[in-house]
Amino acid sequence: MENEEINNEGLEPDTAKNPDDNSQTSKDVIIQIISSLRAKMQENRRLLFVLKAALITILSIIIPILLLLYIVYLVPALEESTSGHKTEITNNPELKTDAAYKKQIALMSKNIKQLSRKFNTYSSGQSYIVINTTENKFSLYKNKKLIREGLCSSGANKILQTQKMNYLFKTPKGKFSIMGKRKHPYWHRSDWDFIEQGLPVPPKDHPSRWEEGVLGDYALDLVDGYMIHGTIYKRLMGMPVTHGCVRLGDEDLEIVFNTLNIGSKVYIF
Amino acid sequence: MEAETRKSPRYLFRALIIILIALIAFVVYYSIMEMRSSSKKMAEISDEYGFVKYEKLKLPENITTDSTFLSLFREQAYLQSRVAMAETDSVYLTINLTDSVINIEISGVVVHSTYIDEIEASKLLTNGDEFIITSLLSAPLTIVSDTSSIVKIPIVMKIAPKDTSEFIPDAIPDTAFYEPVNYIFETDRGINIIVYQSEEINQGDNKERFMFDLRHRLINTKAVMKDILAFKVPEYQLFIKIKIPSADAKIIYRAIPKHGQIGIYK
Repeated sequence: MENEEINNEGLEPDTAKNPDDNSQTSKDVIIQIISSLRAKMQENRRLLFVLKAALITILSIIIPILLLLYIVYLVPALEESTSGHKTEITNNPELKTDAAYKKQIALMSKNIKQLSRKFNTYSSGQSYIVINTTENKFSLYKNKKLIREGLCSSGANKILQTQKMNYLFKTPKGKFSIMGKRKHPYWHRSDWDFIEQGLPVPPKDHPSRWEEGVLGDYALDLVDGYMIHGTIYKRLMGMPVTHGCVRLGDEDLEIVFNTLNIGSKVYIF
Repeated sequence: MEAETRKSPRYLFRALIIILIALIAFVVYYSIMEMRSSSKKMAEISDEYGFVKYEKLKLPENITTDSTFLSLFREQAYLQSRVAMAETDSVYLTINLTDSVINIEISGVVVHSTYIDEIEASKLLTNGDEFIITSLLSAPLTIVSDTSSIVKIPIVMKIAPKDTSEFIPDAIPDTAFYEPVNYIFETDRGINIIVYQSEEINQGDNKERFMFDLRHRLINTKAVMKDILAFKVPEYQLFIKIKIPSADAKIIYRAIPKHGQIGIYK
């Protein structure tokens, strides 16, 4: 124990000197390293040149990238963080007793009721059908309840180019009405059907224009010759292949025919 | 000769320092101008949609922060917007940010509905003056242009055959064809509706989305830069960024007309 104390006592003056000495020695070491590196670099100028070139290249790539990232991402983020201060929503009882306030609230409530009533008149209470041309699906509604849904086929989005004119085969989008309903419909072939097959176009009243069975058992007329009808190409159901009409499968078509009346709405999107 | 060689690195160093200072100064100037754009936008919106209309009714000004008034005002604004759109026979979009629902409607009938997986909007829209922002959204927004990763109408061209020997039946469409769906609707009131598909169906979908976003950011930066170089405060772009399933995103993009309308409930 005594020995240890003696030893410790003996060490104290040494440790007190140490910080200065250590820093001095470390400085010396660094200076030595730098001077040796300098000496080496002066010896090897080529290495120095390569290092400088590498540094400049790296910086000239990194600085523009950082700058771009700053401008493209960071500035808009900072802009967002500084914009807009949350509105303080109040519930002041004094304000609620104000006559002008009361009048305004009553007016707005009345407006909302009127607007709601008006808006509800738009949504059809009758049966209607919705056609989704992107997914080639239909949904049939009765009393605002979905009663049947399934696949259909809509316009192929095809342009048939002829020397005289172009034909666009696309299903129109928006709100339409059923204009007519037909059982066992005949199809009056349009000019494009002949042109598409490379056939000569016959006169309008030529018997070759009339074709039976290709439209299925029922047809519901929309507008400008567009129809909802059946098809003999059942394997193409669910695909965009038609000339603009909407094709349905036999069972679906029968239900749609029996559910929709003349004037019923058809919503196509 | 020696003196010249000694001097040249110094000149180079000075030039570098000057370039660096100029660059820093430009970055600072750019940042300040860009930061000012949001307050400029808010001031513009306030001028156009502020309390002015209600001042004539001699209403107390603190009415615009009252919870009952604001709730009714929001309801009325959304209904007004929906009624205006329902009066057309066209396809339009309604985005309910409160319920996270996006609808395709035709004449007041919801024909397609989907839940929004993620919503992000400009702080100005979410935190800005409730009354002014609701006034801004009280009429439908009209799409002025769009940018998309998919085509609006996938048109196929076919040249009519000269006779039956040239006739080739149409190929069956490839319904399994997949492409990532990301798009931006730019509207007339300076609000961009950014729609991204939420899921990663194929490897690389996220990369596609990142590239789409980067392209959009670069276009914006170019426009901002133009303004800034002309010493003008740039135009602040309000945005609503939503993520929805890919199939729904595609349906919406293809359904909405080129200059279709959008109603927003906040």
